[in-house]
Amino acid sequence: MTAILQPGFWVFILTMSGIYGIFTLGLQVQYGVGGILNFGHVGMMALSSYTMAILVIAHGFNFWVAAASGVAVAALGGAFLGLTTLRLRGDYFSIVSIAFSEIVRYVIFNSDGLTGGAQGSLAIMPIGDAYPSYTDTWDTILYWIRDHLTPILGEIADRDMAMGILVWITFGILLFIVSRVERTSWARVLRATREDDDVPSALGKNVFRFRLQAVIIGSIIGGIAGIYWALQVSLLSPDDFLTIVTFYAWMILILSGATKVKGLAIAAIFFGFLYGGTRFFTFWPFSFFDASQRSYMRIMIIGIVLIVLMIRRPQGIFGKREEMVLE
Amino acid sequence: MNNLILEVNDVAVAFGGVKAVNGATMSVEVGSVTSVIGPNGAGKTTLFNLISGATKPDSGTILFQGFEIQKLLPHKIAGRGIVRTFQGAKVIKRLSVIDNLMLGAQNNPGDNLINFFNPRARNAFEKQARERAMALLKQVGIERFANDYAGILSGGQRKLLDLARALMAEPVMLLLDEPFAGVNPTLVEKLLEVLHDLRTEHHLTFLLVEHDLETVMNISDRVVVMAEGRVIADGLPNSIYENQAVVDAYLGTRKLKS
Repeated sequence: MTAILQPGFWVFILTMSGIYGIFTLGLQVQYGVGGILNFGHVGMMALSSYTMAILVIAHGFNFWVAAASGVAVAALGGAFLGLTTLRLRGDYFSIVSIAFSEIVRYVIFNSDGLTGGAQGSLAIMPIGDAYPSYTDTWDTILYWIRDHLTPILGEIADRDMAMGILVWITFGILLFIVSRVERTSWARVLRATREDDDVPSALGKNVFRFRLQAVIIGSIIGGIAGIYWALQVSLLSPDDFLTIVTFYAWMILILSGATKVKGLAIAAIFFGFLYGGTRFFTFWPFSFFDASQRSYMRIMIIGIVLIVLMIRRPQGIFGKREEMVLE
Repeated sequence: MNNLILEVNDVAVAFGGVKAVNGATMSVEVGSVTSVIGPNGAGKTTLFNLISGATKPDSGTILFQGFEIQKLLPHKIAGRGIVRTFQGAKVIKRLSVIDNLMLGAQNNPGDNLINFFNPRARNAFEKQARERAMALLKQVGIERFANDYAGILSGGQRKLLDLARALMAEPVMLLLDEPFAGVNPTLVEKLLEVLHDLRTEHHLTFLLVEHDLETVMNISDRVVVMAEGRVIADGLPNSIYENQAVVDAYLGTRKLKS
């Protein structure tokens, strides 16, 4: 019970929510606007975070250059996925996209020399070298922010809080940009392709191009989430990029209502609280369960919430019901 | 011969074993209304899909304004000025009526993501296009639904929306797939009125697909009759009635035992 009252706990929840929120925003562009069922989104996160880590640790790149390269590789991953498989429709694309993210994960897992394999980013450099970290530049910024927060907030201000603030600033900026993009005629064409290919192409729109662009934009946003993920966990492992992570993002998207961006932040916090918070549910009635049982419970609670939502509010918390009932 | 806007030469396409269009040849004159009629399964809609690029022919050529278009993708063909409506009318249900029309606007700078950073150009185009879209909605008489989801429209209203959206694309030639099918007589009047205006004011060329001759009799300059994937007759509306092949196709022929 006491952990819930600690500010550090809430900072952790908010930081994770923010990273998941950014990650989900990528899916929102693809599915909420373009109707593209991407189940391999986590692959983009894996590509960007590992690219960044390898460039910094093994090749001594400047962090910013490495982070930008990471996001660029995620964009290329999206382009590759789109170009090769986007001609498949609906559910077929979804299946191939899962395969894509699993291939990425297995390649990372098995490329010991490049990625550190199962040992994660710790083993990117041969043993004997200095502790391989890619977070140095970022930490300097975090400590700088902390030092400026301490006079205002006192003892509570710490590195993690600085991280949370940067994550949410990024999330806010991206939410703003995406909500603007979704008001352009580009998004209008993409919304049309969600329902039908024939109408937009009969009106001179290259449906494939719009879909490909949506996948690439979503992948860039997923790549940005990947960089933050890497910075938050500070040691990458292939297990960070299991398919379940993509489905966490889907849960957030469905909770918020896929067609609108405005609910995303709240849905992400709700998810973050269930995801990170259930292990602190030591009070009744949760006191009947032990710690490992409680960690499984979060999945069950999320499942129940989704089921209730599907029955009571299929459009999500912030979606439009009218859109769901049109024939 | 040089006032032909569309020339379909010996086009054939098969789906599996079915030869949907089997060596069809026809042409459309600039500024004319040409109707393709024929019984069910004659290959009318397939011919339409071939012209609009939705289906690719196995053989033969299709020339639009002298350019071969049979290998082009549908959006490229639309870009050249052939815009179609759909059998039974297709609307994007989860877009508003006005947004459905806005889809038709050609060369919209906002369609290009780079112009996200050029809001002035985007907004200027959008404003102009929106005015034109409202005018078109008024012309077909559904302007009161402009901001409603297209999914709430009735069947007839969807036809009007489909037509208005095609016009929004400023076509050179308009392909109408069964525009009068399942439409009540009042609405047929309305459609005919709109088509008449378009013809006289904008000098559009029309190619219609219809089920029976009666409907298109009075508005067509030429009638092309199809049966079993071939063009069996081609001429002035009146001459079609007297054509024996047409009568056979519609009524059937008696098969004599050999």
